[in-house]
Amino acid sequence: MKTLHRPSASRACKRLTGIVIAALLAMNAAPSRAATEGAKAAPDAAMVAAHAAAKGDGLLEALLTELDRSKAQLKMDQVQAPYYVEYRVSEVEDIGAEAAYGALRENQHVHVRVLRVVVRIGDYKQDSYFGRGQGESSILPLDNDPIALRHQIWLATDGAYKAAGQALAEKQAAMKQFSVDPNPVDDFAKAPQMIAVEPTASLKIDEAGWKKTLEDVTSLYKQYPDVQSVTASARFSAINEYLVNSEGTVTRSGKTTYSVQLSSSTQAADGMRLSRSPAFMVARLEELPTRDALMGEAKKMLETVVALRQAPIVEEEYRGPVLFAADAADDIVASLIGQNVLGQKPQLGKPNRTTGAFATSYKARVLPSFLSVVDDPTMKDFQGKSLVGSYAVDSEGVKAQAVNAIESGMMANYLIGRVPIRDFSTSNGHGRAGPGSFPGPSLGVLLVKSSEAQAPEVLKKKVIQMVTEQGKAYGYRVETLGPGNSPRLLYRVYAKDGHEELVRGAVFSELDIRAIRNDLIAAGNDPLVSNRAGGAPTTIISPSLLFGELEVKRADTSKDKLPDYPAPPLKK
Amino acid sequence: MKISESSAKRGNLCFREKEFLRGAACWILVAQLAGLPIASAAGDKFAPPAAPASAASDPVLKAMQNEITRASAELGKTEQPPYYLSYTVYDQDFVVLVGAYGSLLTNTTAQRRFADVNMRVGVPELDNTHGQSRPSGVNSGSLPLGNDADAIARVLWELTDREYKRAVPSLLNVRTNTAVRAEEEDKSPDFSKEKPQTHIGEVEAAAPFERAAWEGEIKRLSGVFRKYPEVYYATVMIQVQRSNSRMVSSEGSAIVSPSASTRLIMEAQTRAEDGMDLLRVETFQAPAASGLPSEAELTGKIEKMAADLSALRKAPVAEPYDGPAVLSGRAAAVFFHEVLGHRLEGHRQRDEEEGQTFTKKIGQEVLPKFLSVIDDPTTHEMAGMKLAGAYDYDNEGEPAQRVEVIKNGVLENFLMSRMPIKNFGQSNGHGRNQPGRMPTGRQGNLIVTSTKTVPEAEMRQKLMDEVKKQGKPYGLYFDDIQGGFTLTTRALPQAFQVLPVLVYKVYADGRPDELVRGVDIVGTPLAALTRILTTGDQPRVFNGVCGAESGQVPVAAVAPSMLFSEMEVQKRAHEHERPPLLPPPGFEDAGAAKDAQTKAEVKP
Repeated sequence: MKTLHRPSASRACKRLTGIVIAALLAMNAAPSRAATEGAKAAPDAAMVAAHAAAKGDGLLEALLTELDRSKAQLKMDQVQAPYYVEYRVSEVEDIGAEAAYGALRENQHVHVRVLRVVVRIGDYKQDSYFGRGQGESSILPLDNDPIALRHQIWLATDGAYKAAGQALAEKQAAMKQFSVDPNPVDDFAKAPQMIAVEPTASLKIDEAGWKKTLEDVTSLYKQYPDVQSVTASARFSAINEYLVNSEGTVTRSGKTTYSVQLSSSTQAADGMRLSRSPAFMVARLEELPTRDALMGEAKKMLETVVALRQAPIVEEEYRGPVLFAADAADDIVASLIGQNVLGQKPQLGKPNRTTGAFATSYKARVLPSFLSVVDDPTMKDFQGKSLVGSYAVDSEGVKAQAVNAIESGMMANYLIGRVPIRDFSTSNGHGRAGPGSFPGPSLGVLLVKSSEAQAPEVLKKKVIQMVTEQGKAYGYRVETLGPGNSPRLLYRVYAKDGHEELVRGAVFSELDIRAIRNDLIAAGNDPLVSNRAGGAPTTIISPSLLFGELEVKRADTSKDKLPDYPAPPLKK
Repeated sequence: MKISESSAKRGNLCFREKEFLRGAACWILVAQLAGLPIASAAGDKFAPPAAPASAASDPVLKAMQNEITRASAELGKTEQPPYYLSYTVYDQDFVVLVGAYGSLLTNTTAQRRFADVNMRVGVPELDNTHGQSRPSGVNSGSLPLGNDADAIARVLWELTDREYKRAVPSLLNVRTNTAVRAEEEDKSPDFSKEKPQTHIGEVEAAAPFERAAWEGEIKRLSGVFRKYPEVYYATVMIQVQRSNSRMVSSEGSAIVSPSASTRLIMEAQTRAEDGMDLLRVETFQAPAASGLPSEAELTGKIEKMAADLSALRKAPVAEPYDGPAVLSGRAAAVFFHEVLGHRLEGHRQRDEEEGQTFTKKIGQEVLPKFLSVIDDPTTHEMAGMKLAGAYDYDNEGEPAQRVEVIKNGVLENFLMSRMPIKNFGQSNGHGRNQPGRMPTGRQGNLIVTSTKTVPEAEMRQKLMDEVKKQGKPYGLYFDDIQGGFTLTTRALPQAFQVLPVLVYKVYADGRPDELVRGVDIVGTPLAALTRILTTGDQPRVFNGVCGAESGQVPVAAVAPSMLFSEMEVQKRAHEHERPPLLPPPGFEDAGAAKDAQTKAEVKP
């Protein structure tokens, strides 16, 4: 099919919307303070307090003006009036740059305000938050012209209300397929009014300096002819989040995140692809590595990539102790614990408590008894390092709380927002969202603590002792992981003298929730902060972890052909 | 079209989006901008990309030439050396401002550079790009922005090596498929032999873009819509683009083509009580922002758009109809682009999934004798308007040519890329593509001329005469149009649709003309083309963006108004969502609408 139309702005495909949302999701935020007031005010008094709090902020005022109007007047024949209306605006200022081979390749500035409107019809027990009823997104003007702002808010609200009407009908129809749940879980939890208007954040970056740094760092490719690809990127974000709802909540908070990622890849002589991509993410600009430090990190990365080319391949499977350094353990904790402590409500009609692997583990053992896991977004620093997962009020206007998710190995609490799950009827301040997307249960600052912490050297000795007892020549220590928890830097630790040998081409087999429950035998005293980008940025803090038994085997990856001709010779 | 079903879906999507605009459109619009690999410079300077006057002083061109020479030599030593290799580097710098109701929604400066590596292995008679394997002929990626020759060469090497690793297995597939499948009807080679071209284009001198002033103007223009509570979705966008494309090939071509364009797009939408979305779009195009209409003129257009929408909201929905009709020049131009132009694209004549409506009609009469059609990318301006489909060299590095496709109603030629077809072995400079895609024969400026004309002012009378002659109660006058699409494959019905915006019923009994809404022109191409009775005498220009297999390319279509003895229209499919429930901000009180003008004033 061929089409001809005027070069119209609206023509762009939905796919692109996906891209911008994805791009926005990849942005980051960091913490600020909040205060709670008037927790149990009557509705009218609540809105009076809300207006008072918003005074002087043109965006909050415009949001409240439309909120009042929608609350009072939104009503369509045969559709109930909304019982809850929420506006969340994420004002994103984002600077990104990427260099390859010593030259800047991309450089972007984004400044955008994204509105998300949620209109709920029904009541707290059962409402329209289903399918398209989960809200509408829109772009808002960048200045605070009240009419222009309100016009977009008005349109998005109209769309959200109509969608909610349809969604409620669809949901009620869908529920007819299932037998009636004798103990239904509410759709939405009540939350006290929250008023917390905090200062906004903005970016102050020496852009030229950073571009130069990225170019300098990637120029190192000239010194490493065996490395095929070298890139470096930086991304700096300031996100101001504004929230108002019909319960009288008004919050504003500003956060910054700064991240730099190095990346390089090559092939071994046999064609195996090898890569490394160390990243640095902080909430305070001054904590980023300096240019010289970054050059050092890049050299270290390139040297390990070169070393990997020469490293022997893991040919035969191994079952025995494997020590995960804190940097690798952070990834294991994120994927095997972090994802499973979220109280994500399952699909309509599904009986489980959550969608995670710990859904039926409430009050059951999920980790060895020496480990506890707490998610504490109120923590701002850890050992002097900023935590991007820290926040004072979540994306639903609920005060952040420290939640003991796993106590001495037992599943004690799920992290939830305002969508209740079985046995957990109110938010514990973990409803978070990326710009323009709907909130869901999310990690903040997840901390793994051991009651029997040991020095990493002791853990390494333990590996040596265990393999010696088992009559093995060596055990394994993994320093850092890549995607899918595959090892990027994996070392054999030899029993006879403790020396380490870098190997390549390995994967872990059966690294799953059973392994962390039964085979984790010790943890280090070396907790490491790992700040992570995502819809909402999170922090994982985990020490080294020692598995008594884990399988290491050869990765089933193809060996790609080497370049058909050599790289161009350098001119300068 | 490679996969008819999926392309049909894509087409439908583009069509449907018009219907589903709503507030989401501004979201989509920003998405469109943010989805690009945007690079923006700090500050307000907006300098054209460096396009030095000679190859010797252009470090990027030099790096490309060095690397293509080296790649050709190195890959020449392999078992399966490429017989053709080309690099095209596209530089694009642009500013995009989007305003809505008096504020800016988007304010972006972007800069990007990317490279297409085209490679052919095998022999011109049969290579890796044959048939369904055509996409294996190109690989693309983003390139460093500056003049660092080492970095540029390195990325070109990466892209070339990756492309080689796709092209070679693809050739093997092509050879196997050719061996096992029935012989193709058109046994033309896959690539034509052409003379290498060298051309270093001049940078057009243009006044710098006055960004701050335009920010104000876009705000003010978009603020004009505040006066109209029924226009609940409206944007004004300006896109100022300076681009440069550099191409080098293993055949020795070296072409540098800088260009500049500025587009101003005004969109406004309302919804009728029955849920039908009604859209008006006005676009303006000039090399530089200084060539756009004045603010006063644009304000006038906005007021006309709002008035049209207001009238359309109240207009009755048209009933299906088959009878005499007049297409205005712009409507006729889109009609020819869809119905005729796409079917004259060279590659469609050999693709066995295509309908091949005109493949065997060379030398035969396909239009009334008084009509001729050319496609001429070398014409830059007509009827006082810049033509969007003008270019000097096509994407395969061939010089643009004026092609007489239909002369006095007789089919003479096709729009050719370097993909030959039976009896047409050479390119005629119509190989076009969007960066990242393989080129195919495409339209540039499709121009329809007529020798049987009446003055434009008499066309309405001619329509009434025809209506009376046929004994119909009324005829249709298609004034403005938003676009169209067509299907050309065998798997689906040969059909086209043109999407009119302003359509009037012209009554035989002398009643005043009546505006109607929700009309789509439908039909089959061969039948429709023979029903043209006469034309007006003023060519009118439709500038647009055309999407097909080789991506989005800017095109123009030019035609006079036309009287058809018979035109079939159908009811337009539309959503049934109600207009917004609450009045727009600024019109909260029912009575407020009248004194809204004072409220709606936009601060400068």
